[in-house]
Parts: sequence; C-alpha cells; structure tokens
Amino acid sequence: MNHLPQAWGRPRDNVYGTYDASYLQPRLPQTHTQSPIVTGTSVLAVKFKDGIVIAADNLASYGSLARFTDVKRLRPFNSRSIVGIGGDVSDMQYLDRLLNSLDVTENYSSTGHSLNAKNLHTYLSKVMYKRRSDINPLWNQMLVAGLDGNDEPFLSSVDLLGTTFSSPTLATGFGAHLAQPLLRKLSDDESKVADFTREKAVEAVRECMKVLFYRDARSLDRYSIAVVTKESGVELKEDEHLEGQSWAFAETIRGYGRTQEV
Amino acid sequence: MFIARSEYDRGINTFSPEGRLFQVEYSLEAIKLGSTAIGIATSHGVLLGVEKRVTSTLLETSSVEKIVEIDSHIGCAMSGLQADARSMIEHARVESQNHSFHYNERLGVESCTQAICDLALRFGEGADGEESVMSRPFGVALLIAGIDEEGPQLYHAEPSGTFYRYDAKAIGSGSEGAQAELQNEFHKSLSLEEAETLVLKTLKQVMEEKVDSRRVQLASVTKDKGFRIYSDEEMAVVVERLPTN
Amino acid sequence: MASLLSSNPTLASNPSYSFSQAPQNAAAGNREHAFYPYTDNGGSTLGITGNDFAILAGDTRSTSGYSINTRYSPKVFRIGGDDETGEGAHIILSVVGYAADGTALKERLNAIVKMYKYQHGKRMSVKACAQRLATILYGKRFFPYYVTAILGGLDEDGKGALYSYDPVGSYEREQCRAAGAAASLIMPFLDNQVNFKNQYSPGSGVGHDLEARQVTPLPFHEVEQLVRDAFTSATERHIEVGDGLQMLVITKDGIEEKYFPLKRD
Repeated sequence: MNHLPQAWGRPRDNVYGTYDASYLQPRLPQTHTQSPIVTGTSVLAVKFKDGIVIAADNLASYGSLARFTDVKRLRPFNSRSIVGIGGDVSDMQYLDRLLNSLDVTENYSSTGHSLNAKNLHTYLSKVMYKRRSDINPLWNQMLVAGLDGNDEPFLSSVDLLGTTFSSPTLATGFGAHLAQPLLRKLSDDESKVADFTREKAVEAVRECMKVLFYRDARSLDRYSIAVVTKESGVELKEDEHLEGQSWAFAETIRGYGRTQEV
Repeated sequence: MFIARSEYDRGINTFSPEGRLFQVEYSLEAIKLGSTAIGIATSHGVLLGVEKRVTSTLLETSSVEKIVEIDSHIGCAMSGLQADARSMIEHARVESQNHSFHYNERLGVESCTQAICDLALRFGEGADGEESVMSRPFGVALLIAGIDEEGPQLYHAEPSGTFYRYDAKAIGSGSEGAQAELQNEFHKSLSLEEAETLVLKTLKQVMEEKVDSRRVQLASVTKDKGFRIYSDEEMAVVVERLPTN
Repeated sequence: MASLLSSNPTLASNPSYSFSQAPQNAAAGNREHAFYPYTDNGGSTLGITGNDFAILAGDTRSTSGYSINTRYSPKVFRIGGDDETGEGAHIILSVVGYAADGTALKERLNAIVKMYKYQHGKRMSVKACAQRLATILYGKRFFPYYVTAILGGLDEDGKGALYSYDPVGSYEREQCRAAGAAASLIMPFLDNQVNFKNQYSPGSGVGHDLEARQVTPLPFHEVEQLVRDAFTSATERHIEVGDGLQMLVITKDGIEEKYFPLKRD
C-alpha cells in the first residue's frame, strides 16, 4: 500500500502495462449548440383588416452587452411575406442564407406560382423540427407574417423545438410576457381582426415596442417595422426610432436593487 | 440494314427497336419448359394442382415442393426455375408477416401478388434508390391462391411483373391444352370437390406419365382451414375418384 | 514476461501506479445538457364511444409554461382525408403533450393511411390503423413522440371504437379515455359517469350484496354533455386547460366538427 488511495486495489502499471485512462473517462457525447451566443430579443406582430404588421428592434446582444446596434431582424421573402427572427443571430444568418437559396430555387423552377407566407411557415417549421430532432437546434423563435394562398393575412410562429402556433397577435421572447397581453386587449379573436385598422395596428405595435424598451434590458430604441398588405406588398422600414419616450416613471420605481434612496 | 436480333439480347434493360425486351420474353419461354401447374377459384375456396416430374424411381417424391405456403391464408404453385421462386416467396412471406405486424390484419391476396411482382423488374443495373437483386429476370411464373375479405382469389404472376386474376389458369409446359380444357369445364358454381377432380383430370390430359398420388400434388385455400397441402392419404382419395380410361 | 515488461516504457523509467496520471475528477453520473428537445404544450383531450358513434374532444389552448401561446390550436384531427378540408376521412386522432411531435405524428399517420388506400385498394380499418399507430410510436422507442394519442372511428360492425396510447405505443381499446394535463381530473369523472364505477343498484343490499349498476352505452346527447361538463370543470381547476373546446364526432354519416367556447382566464 502507498500514499495514493485512488490507486489501491488497482492494476499496477509495472505489472499490467500503462492503464488506458480513456476507459475511465468516457468521451462526452457529441454536442451541438447548447445555448445561444449573440442574441436578438422580441419580435411582435399583429393582424389587421387586410394585412399584418410586424416589428423587431435592431439590437444584437452578447450576453448583457449591447454588441451590435444595427442588426436587421426582419427578413422579407418574395413581396408577400416577412420573417421576424429572435434568438441566436448566427443561426438567424444561417436561416437568411437558407431562405436566399430557397428563393433562388423557387425562382428558377417558377411556374408562375410563388410561395406564400403559409408555405414559408411550413418550410421553416420542418427545418426547425428536423434540427431539434437531430439535437442540433437553430436557436431561434420566428414569426412568419404575410399573406396566405387566398391573400388573407397570415401570422404564425415557430421556435427551436419546432412548436408552431398562430394567433391574431403574436410576440416572442419578453414580448410574449409584456406585449402580448396588451395586444390581446385590442384584438384577441380572429373575428375582431376584420375591424382592426392598419393605423390602429401599427400604433399598437409601436406602443408595445416602447413598453419593451422600458422594461426589457436587452432591447433598443432603434427598430424595424414592416407592413404586408395585398395592395402594397411588403413595406419595410429598418431605421425607426422610438418616439415620445417618457422616463418619468423611473423615479417611482422602488425595490429591485434601488432600495437606497439617492 | 440487317439487325441481328441477338444485338438486343444481351442488354437486360435494353429495348429492341420494335420496343421489346428480349430477355423478359425469353424468361416467359423458360416457364413453358416447366411442369404444368393449375389453379381454380371456386366460391368455396381456391384449388392448386401441380404435376411432379418423377425423373427416377429413387427420387423421394415428397422432396419435390412446387406448392408452398406464403401465409396461413395464401399459398402458391410455381412453374419454371424453382430456385428463382424461392426469393420471390421469401419476399412475399416477409411482406405478409410485416403487414400483420403493422396492421393486425391479414395481407390481401392482390396486395401479396403486387408485392411479388414489385420484385419482378428489379433486375439489371437497378434504378436509382432501388437496389437491384437479380442479374436477369425471374424464370418462374406463380399461381397465387388466397382468401381474404374479398373472398377466394387466384392470381397469375409472370416474370414481366404483370399479374391478372383468373377463375382458372394453367401454366407450364402443358398450359395450352390445360387452359383449353379449363375453358370448357369451368363454371362459377363448381364445388371444391369438383374442382379437385377437374384439376387432376386436366393434369392427366397433359402429363406424359400416368397420374398417381405420387406424381401430382394438390393444395387448397378455404375460409375454414386456410392454406393446406393435401396429405398422401387425401391425394389417394382424390386420385381414386378419377374416372379410369 | 520480460518481453512484456520491456514493451512498457513507463516501467523502465519510473514504476508507477496506473491511476496516478489518470484525471481524478471523472465526471460522476450524467452530464446535464442545456438543450432539452421536448416541451409540454399543456391542454387535455378526451374520447368517449357509444353504440354507433365515437367522440374525440380537446381544448384548443396551447401553452408554454405560464404563457398562452394561442387560444386556438386544435388537438383533434381527421386522418386519411383531403389535405385542406379533411373530407373523406374515416378515422380521427387526438394528440396532447408536445405539440410539434403531435403534428409530426399526425402527418405521418395521415400519409400512411392514404398510402394504404393506394396500395391495398381499400380503406384502412380502425383496428389496422390502431396497430399501425402503435408500431409508429414504438419505432421511436428511444426518442419517443412525447404525446398521448387517442384514435377513434367505427369498427367493422359499425360500433364506436376508441384506442388509447402511451408515448411509446402501448395501446388498448376502451370505452372512454382522458389524456393530457387534466387527465387526472377528468378520468375519475368518466369512470363514474361512463363506466358507472361506484354506482350500485338502489336497494340491492349492503356490503358485498350491493349490485353494481349495469354498464350500457350512452346515447349521443348524454355523451356530448358529459364531454362539455368535463372540460368546463377541467378549465376551472387546471391552468393549462381552457379557451375553446373542439369536438369531432364520427358516425356512419361521416365526421362532424363542433366548437364551444371555454373560459379564457
């Protein structure tokens, strides 16, 4: 016996040859993305009478660092749809390339028919579900907005697990907690979409972007907003600024580390 | 210009200018060399009968297996290269087991025939995706007898991959004469016992050797008993019934 | 022996113990991974059969944790019908659990049922479909579809048929079954109201002399009311259940869809 208790009862190298320690510590399983790195925050979208409005800010965060402040997270697709992407930015850029190549193949094989927003959503949901099934997810949550096969407003979501759902109003990330309740107050049923005007919808989304900027520490006051209608296709503005901010409420906040009166 | 027929004989998957696949046609010839096999579908069940060529008195006749079971409700008789039939029957058996595993019901007779015929054109280079299993077409034809919710059915499957349903069908070397006989004798209200006699009577006409219980084999598929090969005793009874001439 | 030793380079220089160089802090147990490929989208489903019908119902809420994803996400589907309308279907399926797996499972079964018709020239029976669904689920035994499925239709005798599953394909034909988040709330209610558990013939005696009430298939209007009551109650007591109730009723005349609002709180 010696002073190395972990060697007690074990084969001695000088008798049995060097012990292959790799058996002791089996290799870890192969892993892919385990967490997002550079991330985008919420995406919001609302259906209105004859179209849809979608918005996302232009920030890409590296943890708590506001790393890139001019990242466009709304990605139009063939004048009838637009995808808003939250989550990992590198995966978003991969999806952008994927949509580019899809667009190219679709244009080559063109028989006069092009993919609508519903088709695009189905495609993306298959991509996302396949990647989660390979345990190699694309770390994003997306909103697909646009017009379906009957030129009706279409809005649906897909996330890193391949979960899909649609609703008259949708919001990802923090937006799901902060903006979605506000938007549902205005339009909480498919039947109410018909009397929801474009102006009201855009105003509601802008207001929600402001709420998110107040409360979501990973958000920015620069954002992109797009409206898709049958008449005008995709109208995308990528350098909007939050108007009419008021930080007066900040004074009233107590607690959350601000217990010490200044 | 003279085009020798043989130029299109070699390519297994090559059409001749007249649009024929010679190797497939030749495979049909191989069947005409085979022993005669007969099938008759009655409303009570399907009957299969084959002639066994007993080439030697030393041959153990029970080892000549020209009627085989595919599943408890489907059987088949063959004529042609028996060895080729083995892989087709193996395929059909697997297909049938797979079906009942997946669907908890018996495979349909037509579906079984289709499954066998799917194999038929898997020769030559093999189309993409499908691996080719044979270097040449099969040299055997099958009479597939079975019973399902559609009732008793008889199918004839050829090496060309086509199949047809018949009330009564003869294949093999004596098929021409036998088919003519069946044409005359078949009627819809045939009983199973009458069919037994008809099969043996027809076989007797086209066989070179005399019919006895060692030289012919019968099998039936009925609703109650499913597929069943006749035992020596049962064969003897049926042969006994034959009118002597 | 000597040759064996000489082939060992470590022996010549410094005789040592095998484990002294091995990393001592070998990871104990399983490593936890950040990506978990499943989620629970809540909701509940329920199926009841009668003499000549089968009902499958599900609430239409989809959740992620405490959030409501949407108030309308159907969990009950027509199988083997037209893509858009479901026209011509003769089998119904409900899936509850992880919605993405549910969708994938539904689409797969749908394709198989349609292929079956092309390949075998007949409609797939509910019995055959039930077995096929079990093999599909078991086929992913080691990466399961995280769903509780219920399959409904009419059997060969025209009687209502219901098959319930676990995520890896164990299945059984039943008269009624509740699944999903509020299964534990609904199922005892069904035991009592459909299979008459704990119900006895009045005045039949005491103790062991008590005669259990005879089980008889219920008429449609009673079953429909049971389903609606089950979901209104589940909505009250379970946060993941609510918004709407979707029902598919299969009879010899086809499949009828019904929708009733539920509380949205």
